[in-house]
Amino acid sequence: MATPEQMQALNELFAEEIEAAIRYLHLAVTVKGLDRLLVQKVLLANMRETIEHAQTIANKIVQLGGVPSLELRLSLAPRKASGAEAIRTALAFEHAALDAYRELLDTIHDDVPLEEFIRKQVEVEAQHAAELSLLLEE
Amino acid sequence: MDFWKAFDQNPITHSAAHHVVAIADLIDAFGYARVSDVARLLRITRGSVSVTLKSLKQRGLVIEDERRLLGLSAQGRRIAQGIRARKQILIRLFVDVLGVEAEQAGIDTCKIEHLVSAGTAGRVLRLLRFVKSAAPEAQRFLAAFAHFEGACTHDPATCPCCDEVCLADALAAIEESELRDDD
Repeated sequence: MATPEQMQALNELFAEEIEAAIRYLHLAVTVKGLDRLLVQKVLLANMRETIEHAQTIANKIVQLGGVPSLELRLSLAPRKASGAEAIRTALAFEHAALDAYRELLDTIHDDVPLEEFIRKQVEVEAQHAAELSLLLEE
Repeated sequence: MDFWKAFDQNPITHSAAHHVVAIADLIDAFGYARVSDVARLLRITRGSVSVTLKSLKQRGLVIEDERRLLGLSAQGRRIAQGIRARKQILIRLFVDVLGVEAEQAGIDTCKIEHLVSAGTAGRVLRLLRFVKSAAPEAQRFLAAFAHFEGACTHDPATCPCCDEVCLADALAAIEESELRDDD
């Protein structure tokens, strides 16, 4: 059984994922120049994957007896970005989500299924961030 | 006059101002600040904090050490101190002089604390020093103001405060529209 703190952390992760999906969409439509041809596809693919992550987290909350809650305060400036800028911004929020998963993992000591679930999410998120980092390499 | 452009040229956005002050507050309270602490304090996601910090780090206002603890550069600290000082000055004005409720004063100052120029804040501070001094004129002013009800004639032609429109009517219209928005 998840503790109230763990449930709160899961809800925070749900918000991280939903917000990240919105950010991916915004970045995808605001990316400019020739980069748009390639980077937009990557950003939209990540958006879809991030929505799946949000759904996975929400399902986990329900399985643990909770009800997903969502509180977002998001304002996205109408600013165009180059492909590299968009990827760097995406990396910033991907790393933040990864840290959030890792922090939750550190708090789980006696719940093997939850620990395994979060460990798997860490792996997926780490892979996500690594793929984005590769795009920035010269 | 393009006064509205000055808003865009402000050295720090509303959101960025909150982040800088949050880092300063956390460091003062706990000796350290992490992205997760800032996110919880501001009640936003870590992703939001990280994206804002990315630009504040690029501008040299926020620093992050190898343990990923956040700090403020000398310029960042100056900005945080300036915002805190302006907030305090404006809260004193709103609460102590104008009689605004503390909670509303907190909400309203939050919207302008990073936008008011140091020069204007200095003038407000001068006014505060006067009205809070022991000078009999200041005491009389505060007492008279507290009981002043000054009925509005709603006639800009005879009003010493209004030019073309009745400002009291304009404020009433704003309040009415805010109430409608709340519904």
